[in-house]
Amino acid sequence: MKRINYITLLVAIALGLVTLAPAFAAAQTASVNTSAAVTAPGASVNTNTSITLTAAEKTAIGRGDTEITRRTAALTDLNTRIQAMQKVTDAFKAGISASITNEINTLASLKAKIDADADLATLKTDIQSITSSYRVFALVLPQGRIAAAADREVTIVSMMSTLGSKLQARIQAAQQGGADVTAMSAALTDMAAKLQDAQTQAEASVTASASLTPHNGDSTKMAANNAALKTARTDLKTAQTDLVAARKDINTIVTALGKVKATTTASSTTSASVTQ
Amino acid sequence: MAKWIIGIIIVVLLAGALWYSGVLGNMGMTASQTATTTPQTATTTQQAVAQPENGMSANNDASDAAISQDSAAIDTQMQGLNSDNANVDSSMNDKQTAQSY
Repeated sequence: MKRINYITLLVAIALGLVTLAPAFAAAQTASVNTSAAVTAPGASVNTNTSITLTAAEKTAIGRGDTEITRRTAALTDLNTRIQAMQKVTDAFKAGISASITNEINTLASLKAKIDADADLATLKTDIQSITSSYRVFALVLPQGRIAAAADREVTIVSMMSTLGSKLQARIQAAQQGGADVTAMSAALTDMAAKLQDAQTQAEASVTASASLTPHNGDSTKMAANNAALKTARTDLKTAQTDLVAARKDINTIVTALGKVKATTTASSTTSASVTQ
Repeated sequence: MAKWIIGIIIVVLLAGALWYSGVLGNMGMTASQTATTTPQTATTTQQAVAQPENGMSANNDASDAAISQDSAAIDTQMQGLNSDNANVDSSMNDKQTAQSY
């Protein structure tokens, strides 16, 4: 009798484990799903009441804030564009991004300092530093924009080269079919030359601008920087002109291929009709 | 003899309980998932090769439709280039807000 009870008890325990196992597993899953409360740091507004500001001083601070906000927005937009670059190394991208981020942080610190200045002399110095810091902004922004445009141009060169290979295959097929491909071949050759030059010009624009450093008030260096940026800009425009020409070559080839196809189809139809 | 039978039943039931709760099941799942993951990775790689970036068609597709698709993708990038070059001009002609004190 005791043995039977013993067996019944053990079986009951085992069955109980089987029954409770899913609930136990569910409880484990539920325990993982814990909510994380994120406490955002409170944004404190530093209201400086230790100095009395004149209307002119308030205007100066307002202009400073406007300029800092304008630069920050431009740099943030540039940083977004830099992240979308496709044909540069991650290290190159990170280098530009670091320069931009550093400038944004510097501007944020300057703005916070101006808002917290407790004496008029310091306030005056800080507002003047907005102008001096423009040297960095005036270089970093075009450097980044030139790099982004050059990257786009190299991307387009790559895409057009891929399409060019396909067009070449189609031209060869048309030639094997007996079509006159002289004009198409000429367009393809011109396209290849334009793409080669576009690639060269795009790379030159980055070479001319990427290594420039702020002039820090040195007028000779400032002139050299401006000249280098203009050269880079000219390179970009030349590359763009090349790409527009290459795009026209593509249209020329595609149109000609369409005519060959239409002629071939018409000939096939005529032959079939005559045979019948 | 009865003890042996009881013991076997308990072991079987406990094994069943563990499998049902996922402890043993996960061991089997791990191998199954690994086998499943490998083909998925291979599939992803094949898709990356077959679907070039920026809306271009497959590299080995020279059909009319593919050429049309590629041309459209290039035109999109050309429009982007116009925007990029306009931004270059803007950055080089930038003038700061006059500061005064």
